[in-house]
Amino acid sequence: MLELHQISRSFSGTKVLDEVSFAVPRGALTGFVGANGAGKTTTMRIIMGLLTANSGHVSLDGKTLSAPTRPSFGYMPEERGLYPKQPIIDQLIYLGQLHSLSRATARERAMELLSRFGLEHRAKSKLESLSLGNQQRVQVAAALLHEPDVLVLDEPFSGLDPLAVDAMSSILADYAARGVPVLFSSHQLDLLDTLVDHLVIIQDGKIRANASAEELRAAHTSRYQLSLGADAGWLRTEPGVEVIDLSGSNALVSFATVADSQRVLTHALSRGNVTEFAVHRPALADIYREIIA
Amino acid sequence: MSTQITHPWLIVTLREVETKLRDKAFIISTLITLLLIIGSIAVTGFLATRTTQFSVAATDQASFSVLNQAASDAEEQLKISVEQLPADDAAAQLDAGQLDATMSQNSANKFTLTGSDEVPAKLHGALRDATEKVLTAQLLTSAGLNVDQLPDDNALEISQMHGDAERSSMIQAMAFLFSFLFYMSAIIFGMPIANSVIEEKQNRVVEILASAINLRQLLAGKILGNVILALAQLLLFLAVGLLAAYLSPVQIPFLGVVSQVAGWFVVFFLGGFLVLAGIWATLGALASRTEDLQQSSGPVVGVLMAVLFIGMYAKGGFLVIASYVPIVSSVAMPIRLLGGEVSLVEPIISLAITLATCWFTILFAERIYRRAVMHTGGALTLRKALKLEL
Repeated sequence: MLELHQISRSFSGTKVLDEVSFAVPRGALTGFVGANGAGKTTTMRIIMGLLTANSGHVSLDGKTLSAPTRPSFGYMPEERGLYPKQPIIDQLIYLGQLHSLSRATARERAMELLSRFGLEHRAKSKLESLSLGNQQRVQVAAALLHEPDVLVLDEPFSGLDPLAVDAMSSILADYAARGVPVLFSSHQLDLLDTLVDHLVIIQDGKIRANASAEELRAAHTSRYQLSLGADAGWLRTEPGVEVIDLSGSNALVSFATVADSQRVLTHALSRGNVTEFAVHRPALADIYREIIA
Repeated sequence: MSTQITHPWLIVTLREVETKLRDKAFIISTLITLLLIIGSIAVTGFLATRTTQFSVAATDQASFSVLNQAASDAEEQLKISVEQLPADDAAAQLDAGQLDATMSQNSANKFTLTGSDEVPAKLHGALRDATEKVLTAQLLTSAGLNVDQLPDDNALEISQMHGDAERSSMIQAMAFLFSFLFYMSAIIFGMPIANSVIEEKQNRVVEILASAINLRQLLAGKILGNVILALAQLLLFLAVGLLAAYLSPVQIPFLGVVSQVAGWFVVFFLGGFLVLAGIWATLGALASRTEDLQQSSGPVVGVLMAVLFIGMYAKGGFLVIASYVPIVSSVAMPIRLLGGEVSLVEPIISLAITLATCWFTILFAERIYRRAVMHTGGALTLRKALKLEL
């Protein structure tokens, strides 16, 4: 498990991270979300040892990471960076070697990843000759070359077409399933619902939520979806009921107590048909909006 | 299966070398320079040993003696074969191309030299001198004087208290060569250090590199790669140049001293280049785009121009001071060594100063590099870069 312990960091007197603590468990995909400038990239750079924390520390399986480099981590920076004027295979081999792979192994791994992304026939092309989406795939390949112990990816989905998003999702899920802690940031909130097992929300350098997706949903499931046979306007005057959204015969409500919910259900049945009375399962995107609001 | 390389700096070094060796422009420019070196030595040798032969006929006794005088006075590379023929035969042979010229006396003091289409300038010059000499001798004899009593060209001999004239011109030529080689290498191999730092900074690939290996190792690998290339190219040029000079049919003076000093030059070159490499890396880290380098590299190029001019023109006390100033000393000290009047202590002290400077420059470069290379958004000044937190 990768853990951050009360990390703080300031830039020229401005506090960018304030006692940030969270864990990236093994065997799970951890999503890291927050507005622009909330501190995601700084946090990731501190995890990677590229920046130092003013206080606090990062640990992997209980051991504090003290060296400035993380050769066994896979990293994809926010601002994409590889050598545009060099053949793809050459730079992948070079990066693999820097991560302690032999030249032959690096080549083998690079070709394997390129064919997984459908780019094996472009191995000798210069990076700049590829479309942006394909350059992004090469960037991911660079992060995965050395079979990393930990994956830290800053916005891995930005700029990808739907098929590439699927490919990327399956790769990340694959790594998580192998027991690798995977942390990735994303602005595409709809992706999070299907993908993440764990969610960390950061706002103005402070962690606002840090829990498994199920826990977060459970904490935000006091709402019920009601569909009646006739107009649902009468719900507004019912005691113990808060109407969040109402249109015609459909309503999204929350009840003060379980007893209130049962009473309203009985009442609704007595007034006519009830086609739906279900616990509303919130999207993580909704939970995020609610938390940072 | 290839073996695994465990030193990251070595991987970076190998990559720098490999990338450069695949660069066609680099290979072509190296080959052209090699050809120029071999060519200039070959042309000098050819011109020095080429002999020109002329066949000239005299139509009378007076002309014949002038021609004989010219033939015996002619310099080594000029051969004049002389014969005496009747005027008609001489004219016929000249017309048939068997002779280069004919010579005949018109009056006591006048001769005519006749060529077919032209009279070669070299032949004309030699015969003019001979005519003058023969006529003067006749005049002196008729006046009862001996020609040997006249003062000749060697009446004034030249001597120098230190060294000799021939050595001075050798030093001048080598000074130019050393300065030029250093200047060229500093630009060809120094600038790429800065550019490759900027490229990685601009593309943000440095973030991936820095998370994998220590930035110190990255910097060391880059500098070392370019030092190896610069040194290899220099050694190639010197070796080919010296070899061509040894094989040349012309005796090139001071080749022993030149070879010895060339060895010193290689050592000083290495020191000076390392100092420059540190400076180039710093400039690269401070810049945010390749365009920034054009501005910030001005002072370095200025220093390099100074090296070029000091190498070519500096003399006396100025040269002595220059031979202790790092970078400039890479050229100035070898030039002094060519004079042969420098004790062994001097180059060793100068080298120690250069190596100390080199150590500080590289440490300083690393300090700046570690701070500035992660910085995005605009070029940095040195002061700002030093203030950056890691």
